[in-house]
Amino acid sequence: MTRYLARRVALSLVTLFLLATLVFVIVNVLPSDPGRRIAGPFAPQETVDALNERLGANDPLLQQYGRLLKNTVTFDFGDSFKYGKPVKSVLFPALARSAKLVFLALLLTVPISILAGIVAARRRNTLADRLIVTVGLASSSIPEFVSGVTLQFLLGVQLGWLPVLALAPSDAGIGTQFKHLLLPALALVAVYFGYIARITRAGAIQALDADYTRTAVMKGLDNRRVLTRHVMRNALQPTVAVVGTQIGYLFSGLIGLELIFAYPGLGSLIVGAAGDKDYPLLEAGVLLVGIIYMICTLLADLLIAWMNPRARLVGEFA
Amino acid sequence: MDWKRLDRARRSVGPHELELVESFAQGRISRRDFLRRGTVIGLSAPLMAAVLAACSNEESQAPGPSGSGTGQQGGTIKIATQTPAATLDPIAMQDLGAYGLLAQSFEFLATLGDNGEIAPGLAESWTSNDTRDVWTFQLRQGVKWHDGTDFTSEDVAATMDRLVEAGNSGLKGVIEKGSVDTSDPNVAVITLTGPNLNFPYLVSVFNAQTPITPVAYETGTTLDGSPNGTGPWKLTSYDAATKATFERNPDWWGGQTPLDGQEVQFFDDLGTMVTAMQGNSIDAIVQFQAIGGEGLLNNPDFVVLDIQAATHRQIWMRCDTGQFADKRVRQALALTFDRDAMVQTLFAGKAEVANDHIIPPFAPFFSDTVPQRTKDDEAARQLLADAGFPNGLKAVLHAAKLQEIPDLAQLIQAGAKAAGFDLELQIEGLDTFYGAQWCPAEPADPPCSGAAELGIVDYGHRPTPDVFLNSAFATNGVWNSSQYSSSEFDAAFKTFQESQDAEDQKTACGELERILNEDVPVGVPYFYHYLSGHSNGVQDIRVSALGQMFIEKASFV
Repeated sequence: MTRYLARRVALSLVTLFLLATLVFVIVNVLPSDPGRRIAGPFAPQETVDALNERLGANDPLLQQYGRLLKNTVTFDFGDSFKYGKPVKSVLFPALARSAKLVFLALLLTVPISILAGIVAARRRNTLADRLIVTVGLASSSIPEFVSGVTLQFLLGVQLGWLPVLALAPSDAGIGTQFKHLLLPALALVAVYFGYIARITRAGAIQALDADYTRTAVMKGLDNRRVLTRHVMRNALQPTVAVVGTQIGYLFSGLIGLELIFAYPGLGSLIVGAAGDKDYPLLEAGVLLVGIIYMICTLLADLLIAWMNPRARLVGEFA
Repeated sequence: MDWKRLDRARRSVGPHELELVESFAQGRISRRDFLRRGTVIGLSAPLMAAVLAACSNEESQAPGPSGSGTGQQGGTIKIATQTPAATLDPIAMQDLGAYGLLAQSFEFLATLGDNGEIAPGLAESWTSNDTRDVWTFQLRQGVKWHDGTDFTSEDVAATMDRLVEAGNSGLKGVIEKGSVDTSDPNVAVITLTGPNLNFPYLVSVFNAQTPITPVAYETGTTLDGSPNGTGPWKLTSYDAATKATFERNPDWWGGQTPLDGQEVQFFDDLGTMVTAMQGNSIDAIVQFQAIGGEGLLNNPDFVVLDIQAATHRQIWMRCDTGQFADKRVRQALALTFDRDAMVQTLFAGKAEVANDHIIPPFAPFFSDTVPQRTKDDEAARQLLADAGFPNGLKAVLHAAKLQEIPDLAQLIQAGAKAAGFDLELQIEGLDTFYGAQWCPAEPADPPCSGAAELGIVDYGHRPTPDVFLNSAFATNGVWNSSQYSSSEFDAAFKTFQESQDAEDQKTACGELERILNEDVPVGVPYFYHYLSGHSNGVQDIRVSALGQMFIEKASFV
């Protein structure tokens, strides 16, 4: 397991290096005049030139690339052009907001979806199975910002049960924050329920039909043990892989949902940075999302390797 | 008419003030204009009340705070506003989101009065000399900065110097560095470069970058970096992406605010703001648009604050070079505007038709002597032919992705087609538009000489036209993207600046309107209303048309 972990971490570091290189290329392909961006369209050219000099925008590309790699290691990208503050002080609060929403959405979605997937697999071709599959398919096909608006109107405006804005007051406790985040989280549940439930169902059907399950039943294990030790351990591997990769998207791809609920997370911040040509923030944001992707897939791989020791051997004999 | 009382009032004022009193007494100006002009030239509230009472035979009251004053004490109001576009730098800020936040903690020499006009702020009163080029502001005593130090004329002088250095659009050319005499800490005497009847407006909430900041403030200091104002609210937290929170300043010179604090939440989307109001998640909205804001306009639980404003768009046309250098071409394009349709389509009627000049029809100095230009494709075609374009012309119309401007560009494009204008639209991000099309920094002399041939630019509300006239039309003005240069206009503008009373100003404005309407350096199709509002659960909220919401008297019902 240690060798497997070391190999995966090394691979992640290589991916991070490639990502940093890609970000550097993209930022340098885009038209860039950071001095003008900071000083504004009416500033005299001398001021702009002085700023560009101070920011190192006129340095040779190789030097700039070296600086980016160093910044990636220290995660110190200087000040945001737009906010005039260290990038970290802008990025991390947005990361925290996204993390809260993602955590709640996963907390609600994963157990319900896995349970529904297992139920559907065990009661294959019954009404319950068809209901779970059909409802899941229908809800997954509606984008989260559409279900978000609908839930907001119904549960927030019409019935007044839940706050329509996701951002809780500054002094809010966990309960109030939970209440504020519930509507966007429910919109995500609607999208991911069907997706995760169907993958779990497929994995569970395969595991239920497998020889090892039949053997476990025949040797007299009770249903609970068969399900937890043999079926779920094998059936959930694709589910874990999918959830692992989706977390990265959830952190950065919910721009529509964040707009509707006035909840500026990582996605909105990165889009804004791209629009404002705030390159330090853009570089740091993209790299942060890349790091989140890598950590999540690494954790998913480790979980899968724990669930299925054979996974650790992949590539071992290549 | 109570002649005795009026005579007493007459005897207590100087010759210029007397002229205003006489104008009102003889019915030449309205009560609103009298209050407005009286405030500007520094007539005291009791004196104005006495004149009003004498002329109406009513026991009139001094213009004072409105509202019932019967609200609850305490509570935190939640306010929705647009996300600030940049840092909270009082000198350099350019957007309504920042204007609104700064105006909570910082104050101006002249603030927003209950009648929508300026009123004493950090200056208790002001007067000018006879030639209107030296203004004396009596500063309010006992005012303290949030850090406990005293507010003095040194703070005023330092602020004015910083504004001059930064090239403030309202004060550029009006004052110079070192123009504030600080020999008395309670009096700021400001010497102008020339006469200016409207000077108090230029140091008021209506010149949003002029809040008075401490003497130790350096250019580039932001409110969140150094939250030290004199105003009723102290900034307690600021997250540029989400919200700002303020708590009551217990030592505010104006007394205790009914509310304990305010939470100003930032929004990027009007629809979300409307939903938040419908879902009772916010109590007030600093600004919204009629199109998209129907849910608020038709909501019985929402109080709409609808302000006629001078906010407008200028369709600039280069007068010095290119296809629009002949004024007949410019007149032709202006003749293709379907102004009524624009007002309805873009603002659901919450706008006024304009006449290709920047004096709004509701302004007290507006002169109705210039006939309204209306859509006339036939006349436009003829003018184009006379100017040497019998087969029409092709041009690129530049516009920014801002509010209704892309839609306006489409309406102009469609409307101009019949007259022979083949306009290609180029809609750009704000940076590119301002920096490359409207007023590129280079070439710097004259300013804006690198501007595109044709484009649409936005102008915010100003209660007097000084900034518009000085920046956009005066020869070598800092925002003169049409490169308009007219000795006739410059002379008329000088006359306007040197006007000694409201009547003179109106006459001068009539001339300015005529010149601009005839020369059409810019087309101006409308002035649109500033819409703001709050739930009917709160009261006594006032707004300027520049993103500033004043809630020091506000309370929950």
